[in-house]
Amino acid sequence: MSDVAMEIEKYRIYMFLIGTGLAVVIFYYYIIYLYRSEKKGKKNYEKYGRLALDDELDSEILEKNPKSEEKKKGEDK
Amino acid sequence: MFHWLEKHPFFFAVGVFVVIAYAGLIEVLPNFMEKARPIKGLKPYTVLELAGKEVYKKDNCIACHSQLIRPFKAETDRYGQYSMSGEYAYDRPFLWGSKRTGPDLHRVGRYRTPDWHANHMWNPKSVVPDSIMPAYKHQFTNVADLETAYAEAVTVKKVFNTPYGDDIKPGKAAFEKYKKEKILPEALKIAKAMKRDDLVKMVESGKVPEVVALVAYLERLK
Amino acid sequence: MQSNAALEYDYSIVKLFMWTTVIFGIVGMAIGVLIASQLAFPDLNYLMGEYGTFSRLRPLHTNVVIYGFTLSGIWASMYYVGQRVLKVSLLESGFLRFMSKLHFLLYMIVAALMVVTLALGITASKEYAQMEWPLDILVVLTWVVSGIALFGMIGLRREKTLYISMWYYIAFFLAVAMLYLFNNMEVPTYFFSGGLGAWYHSVSMYAGTNDALVQWWWGHNAVAFVFTVPIIAMIYYFLPKESGQAVYSYKLSLLSFWGLMFVYLWAGGHHLIWSTVPDWMQTMGSVFSVVLILPSWGSAINMLLTMKGEWNQLTENPLIKFMILASTFYMLSTLEGPIQSVKSVNAIAHFTDWIIGHVHDGVLGWVAFMVFAAVMHMAPRVFKREIYSKSLLEAQFWIQTIGVVLYFSSMWIAGITQGMMWRAVDEYGNLVYSFIDTVSVLHPYYTIRAFGGLLYLIGVFMFAWNFFKTATAGRRLEQEPRYKSPMA
Repeated sequence: MSDVAMEIEKYRIYMFLIGTGLAVVIFYYYIIYLYRSEKKGKKNYEKYGRLALDDELDSEILEKNPKSEEKKKGEDK
Repeated sequence: MFHWLEKHPFFFAVGVFVVIAYAGLIEVLPNFMEKARPIKGLKPYTVLELAGKEVYKKDNCIACHSQLIRPFKAETDRYGQYSMSGEYAYDRPFLWGSKRTGPDLHRVGRYRTPDWHANHMWNPKSVVPDSIMPAYKHQFTNVADLETAYAEAVTVKKVFNTPYGDDIKPGKAAFEKYKKEKILPEALKIAKAMKRDDLVKMVESGKVPEVVALVAYLERLK
Repeated sequence: MQSNAALEYDYSIVKLFMWTTVIFGIVGMAIGVLIASQLAFPDLNYLMGEYGTFSRLRPLHTNVVIYGFTLSGIWASMYYVGQRVLKVSLLESGFLRFMSKLHFLLYMIVAALMVVTLALGITASKEYAQMEWPLDILVVLTWVVSGIALFGMIGLRREKTLYISMWYYIAFFLAVAMLYLFNNMEVPTYFFSGGLGAWYHSVSMYAGTNDALVQWWWGHNAVAFVFTVPIIAMIYYFLPKESGQAVYSYKLSLLSFWGLMFVYLWAGGHHLIWSTVPDWMQTMGSVFSVVLILPSWGSAINMLLTMKGEWNQLTENPLIKFMILASTFYMLSTLEGPIQSVKSVNAIAHFTDWIIGHVHDGVLGWVAFMVFAAVMHMAPRVFKREIYSKSLLEAQFWIQTIGVVLYFSSMWIAGITQGMMWRAVDEYGNLVYSFIDTVSVLHPYYTIRAFGGLLYLIGVFMFAWNFFKTATAGRRLEQEPRYKSPMA
């Protein structure tokens, strides 16, 4: 193996360890964050599961997309 | 945090892309810095062999045959020396295959002869009575596409610096000259070794049957 | 909101893709049954001269079922689910409606050319990426147009939050695009040789081991992002909708999504164990394949738990049966895959029919079952008619389930038998069996497999008939059904 290749190999290992380590930490932090914020009542994630069930055009919208509203107003004028 | 992404599709898509590209960045790309180097003494495929490789691809031999001998005793006993990376340096594409309905072919040139192949391709049951391989009789009458094979040699020489001689160069005239001087004599030798007069006659008339090119390729696998 | 009262979802594009799902399903699986029978009865190789051999037909089978049947089903569902969960109708945008039709048109052109070229033996020879460069360009074009349609719908959405299914459709689009581009880097020979030979011929940009690495990075992830990710997108919508139960845990779906995205791409190396790619990469392929069980089972368990308290629906509704069995088969094959990736198991399994068995319990049990269920769920809504026959659907379910079981069990036994025979040595260390011994012994299993495949194909014909009758002769519905699909 040439020197350049060795060098690349080294960076590759560093990048792998750092990247994967970071991903694992973020991921576990995220799991804790999800469950904790729901327990505290800050967020309710499960309501989004209803999106598949209430999917008629005239079903109630959970959270409006502001962009689509702007467009609607524009059309009205 | 992540939940924010679900409301912002653009950043969501970027996020997904980063996560899936990461593996490729680490795992696949760096290998291309170290070019796969040919092992010592490895010659590029001759144009006839390339034409044979095209037949191998066209009739899709890789559906049932591998070209990869794994480093186990049972495999090396059966097929010979295990495969090494440098042996594939001129294989574009690689033809390892993923299924062995038939045996591995990576070193088939060591233990089969052209006339065995001739009989086998004409009627597999004549040499292996229990064979389930179909006969490939059409290869005895279809003419191999030498021009495309030659074009391939020119291309890999130009683009990837594959070490071909100076007589491999672009243009119809160069091809015709090369065909007459190099390809046809090589094909004639193979056709004669296959011990079938119809094949010899065809080659003498300037047409190389697919099966002759294929056998040239198989003989090369050693 | 008043303007919405008259507005409806536009299913015209969904219908087109549903029809092609049915047609490609029949064609692809019929070829499958033929080539399976050829292995048991080799004389069947000579039905169509040079074009009828096992080797020439096999890529046709794989490409038609993957890129014909499965992709059609995925895209039908993408336009259907996409409109609904985003609460946007294609009728609202002439541009998007045009793009969706253009998408279908291009797709049909590519599919037709693909079938013709593969039958003629024009191939780049990389598995599941056989198409030559002119077709590759058309594929990229089709893909871009489909992406414009997908992101266009997202851009117009009324609902701010993307539902779970949409994440998976986005990932499907992006990953396949990236992998396809890299794997199909080719150099056309015609332009470098002064116009010699076939103009459509090309050589791979990569050689030997590198080529293998890129190919299986693609090959594995074609399975991941065509056969898994968009199918998960489908089940996350259709199972809750059909059962009327919201998904068991939205949080779990988030976690499994990001987990799957991160882990899946690493596992490609497991196709190259004991080959000439670097050792650490093989190990990586092995390890990540095992880790992959977690996010895969995360989704599957989430689906099963969605049915909590409503398991009676399993006996009453054949569509629920299809979907629950699909997620069960998903669990089976995502457990089986990692087992086969363990180095010592791989030494036996690789190159044998066990791999074929693994693929098929995944695709027949999971992918195709989910596609059937999705199409049958959509049919009453898009045609505004009742499903033609419930009993036919039930019969299809059972006959196909028996087919799948026969298929994978025979292939497991065949694969392990052959793998063991290849390595069997006598007391002096000599090989016991010649290669042909290990082929002859497989005859009964090949026969059982072909029979299992035939049962499955019969099921496909039942499905096609049921679909056709639903579209043309089902009882008309006054109102769109909310959850359970009405069936006669």
